[in-house]
Amino acid sequence: MRRAGRVAAALAFVGGFAVASWVVRLDRIVVSRFEGRQFRVPSRVLSAPTILYPGLDWRRIDLRQTLVRLGYRDHPAGSDMPVGSLHWGRGRVRVHLRAFDHPSRPEPARDIVMALSSDTIERIVELPGGREVGAVLLEPELVGAYYGPDREQRDLIHLSEVPPHLIHAVLSVEDQRFETHHGVDLRRILGAMLANLRAGSIRQGGSTLTQQLVKNFFLTPERTLSRKLQEAVMALLVEARYDKEAILESYLNEIYLGQRGATAIHGVGEATRLYFGKSVEDLTVGESALLAAIIQSPNRISPHRDAELAIDRRNLVLALMRRQGRISDSTYLQERDEPLRVAAITRDLGQARYFLDMLRRQLPTVYAPELLASEGVRIYSTLDLRLQRAATEALVQGLVEAELTHPELVTPGGDRLQGCLVALRPQTGEVLALVGGRDYGLSQFDRCTQARRQAGSVFKPFVYIAALEPDRGGPSITLASFLDDSPYALETPQGTWQPQNYDHEFRGRVSVREAVERSLNVPAARLGQEVGIERVVEVAARLGITSDLPEVPSLALGTAEVSPFEVAQAYATLANGGVRTTAHTFEDLVNGEGETLERRTLRFQRVLDAGTAYLATSLLEGVVERGTAVRVRAMGLTGPIAGKTGTTDDEYDLWFVGFTPELVAVVWVGFDKPRSIGVQSSHLALPIWVRFVREALGTEIRGAFLPPAEVTRVDIEPSSGALALAGCPERRPEFFLHHTEPDETCPRDVGGPGRVIGWLRDLL
Amino acid sequence: MRGARTAQGVCLGIAVCLLVGCAQLGWRFGERPLRLTDVRGEGDAPRRASLQLVLEGLDADAVDDARRARGSYDRAIQVDPTNPYAYLALARHEVDGTQPDRALPFLDRVEALLSAHGDLSPGVEVHLIGLRGQAYYASGRIDQGVTLLEEARVRAPVVWSDGHLSAEELR
Repeated sequence: MRRAGRVAAALAFVGGFAVASWVVRLDRIVVSRFEGRQFRVPSRVLSAPTILYPGLDWRRIDLRQTLVRLGYRDHPAGSDMPVGSLHWGRGRVRVHLRAFDHPSRPEPARDIVMALSSDTIERIVELPGGREVGAVLLEPELVGAYYGPDREQRDLIHLSEVPPHLIHAVLSVEDQRFETHHGVDLRRILGAMLANLRAGSIRQGGSTLTQQLVKNFFLTPERTLSRKLQEAVMALLVEARYDKEAILESYLNEIYLGQRGATAIHGVGEATRLYFGKSVEDLTVGESALLAAIIQSPNRISPHRDAELAIDRRNLVLALMRRQGRISDSTYLQERDEPLRVAAITRDLGQARYFLDMLRRQLPTVYAPELLASEGVRIYSTLDLRLQRAATEALVQGLVEAELTHPELVTPGGDRLQGCLVALRPQTGEVLALVGGRDYGLSQFDRCTQARRQAGSVFKPFVYIAALEPDRGGPSITLASFLDDSPYALETPQGTWQPQNYDHEFRGRVSVREAVERSLNVPAARLGQEVGIERVVEVAARLGITSDLPEVPSLALGTAEVSPFEVAQAYATLANGGVRTTAHTFEDLVNGEGETLERRTLRFQRVLDAGTAYLATSLLEGVVERGTAVRVRAMGLTGPIAGKTGTTDDEYDLWFVGFTPELVAVVWVGFDKPRSIGVQSSHLALPIWVRFVREALGTEIRGAFLPPAEVTRVDIEPSSGALALAGCPERRPEFFLHHTEPDETCPRDVGGPGRVIGWLRDLL
Repeated sequence: MRGARTAQGVCLGIAVCLLVGCAQLGWRFGERPLRLTDVRGEGDAPRRASLQLVLEGLDADAVDDARRARGSYDRAIQVDPTNPYAYLALARHEVDGTQPDRALPFLDRVEALLSAHGDLSPGVEVHLIGLRGQAYYASGRIDQGVTLLEEARVRAPVVWSDGHLSAEELR
């Protein structure tokens, strides 16, 4: 007996010790999770805000869809429009804009009415009072997020932000004795057991809210007795260590509430955005009831999937809330009859994935992928989502159409024709759109920033700039100069180099404009040698080309490999009058507490004199007016546009670079494993560019390329390049840097007073 | 007779004063420093919206809300990247900041944009001179700064006498 007693005592001791150790181990797990970082919050990337103002083409910016994407919900007309609602009437739209906290310019909530004509916003007034407003900002749109492997998205909230009716709604369904139990609710367990026995199957769960939290935080979803026991013990430990508010807050941030595409939505903050397009503070009682109803089966009860079921379940929760005395009868009746108003589904924006990748590469190295996937950094990007959509559509459509027109481009099972498009704002260097390929799902390789391809003729302007630039020791050509387009041979270490024009013809003497507009190789090759290839390299680097450029004669014709992004930077410098900006993808980085971590401010550097930049721009305008890019006009774009086509040897790479006073965009088309496309760039890359710009800016391009003070415009006689005076039979205007105007005159030998009289006559 | 002469003299004196005053006023008027409210209705829709944002930025600068001011100027440039007045306001904002020499490229841009359009009036020029002087002075190029500030003061004493262009004065 005694021995048995001893054994029993020993067993009890060992058992007790084992249990105690187990509990201590569980406690450690609980503490480490609760007191460490509880949640991984993916960093979000937000677009540049859309700015609305009188005169803006609301159809082009797709105002209605933009508002829908931002989660604004239709609301009947009336004096009381809640924040986040809109009413689209005839000739006017009323929107109660949400407040948003942008790091550079926070905006208050504003109730505005926009008077609309058939295509423009005529007037914006703010209510109440009807004060006229010059410009209003919409909140940035979500571009994407940097997820961890779990692809969970959540927007952390503090309990103080949660309206009491949401807490009541959740507790009424999930755990009505939450305030009083200690982690496990025996009454609930017994009740659930009885209900399940009666039903003959498992219909009800007996878990408290704390147990659910424990299950989600620490355990697997398996239904075994040992797991249930572990769950109960851990729930007791959680309740013993932490107060009810902390537990509730964790639960509301953890709970799974549905999907946005492949992304799992966790927590009421993110779910409120997904279903109602608003912040949790703005939830109505009915919406809170719906959220609480969704917890049970988020994908089945989703209002996006089955509105009727969602209403039924919402009303069931409302009834429970009334029965438990959490809402009044009148609130119940009012909310029960409310129609369901949910925000449109916002899909994951696969289109911007190349941009997101580039942005990540631009971030300082301290922002490692793990940190971005967990720290909830908000990244305010430069991306214009409307332009991004236009760029994606233009590129994909352009490639599809090319394959339809040229079926030989499609080889079953082979490499698909690829392309990329990048657009920058030249004055600031903001990357507005970037599409690195036709399908990110199939290939994540970004052909705009990661590929190096032969530049072809888009490189030639750097040769002309090197020659036009004053005081740099070059031959100092002017736009009235002539170049030699006759057979040319140059001895190189690799043998004799004999450049040819695209048509294998030689034209003898050609003007600089003609050489550029027709993209002639021979004059460019000669000029490159006269200027010095090392100078061409230096000019290209100064403007924005960062790749290593080989100092070989053929460089003048673009044999160097560069990325489309570099080309965009270099042309942006021209569009910006010779001032180089730093191309960037984000403006601000803000941490979860709202502190700014990084800020990009506008930086300029003059790298080319404004006069030469203008002359180069004027040459490139000629390419669009009369040269290889004349299809730009044929396709309906009017206004100031400069551009350059580029088709490399054997048509491996097709380029079009074009810019307006406010936008520069580069299109590249080719195969990843280079092979001939058999089409000129003006028939493939250029139409993609036009399609994009038409969507981005409309068909009438705004502004003008104006000559700076150091440039003069005089008439010349085209065949000689001489100054055209009175009596000269032919003339056309041309631009010159000061003191580089031609000395020769037409008629010849008119000098001194005769010349002055000619000038005066012209003037008059 | 004597009274008539006196009256004539007084009238002559008044006339001379008026002439001198008008000449003085005319000179001043020609050099009247630019205020952005003067140009707020000019240009096309994006320019007007951009100017509105610039004015909001100046309002924010006037109450020392530098963050909102900077945000407004950035947005103004986003709406109309060729708006010279956005860069002018930004330059004014920068000379008051911690790195005043950052204003210089913005001033170059204002000059380039306005002169290309033939809009570089004396009223803007005086601000460009003054702000450049202020930027030089604050970044340690004292002599150059003083010379330019003195020139601005002579040309527009009301605004530039204190060597500083406030947001209200530019507004």
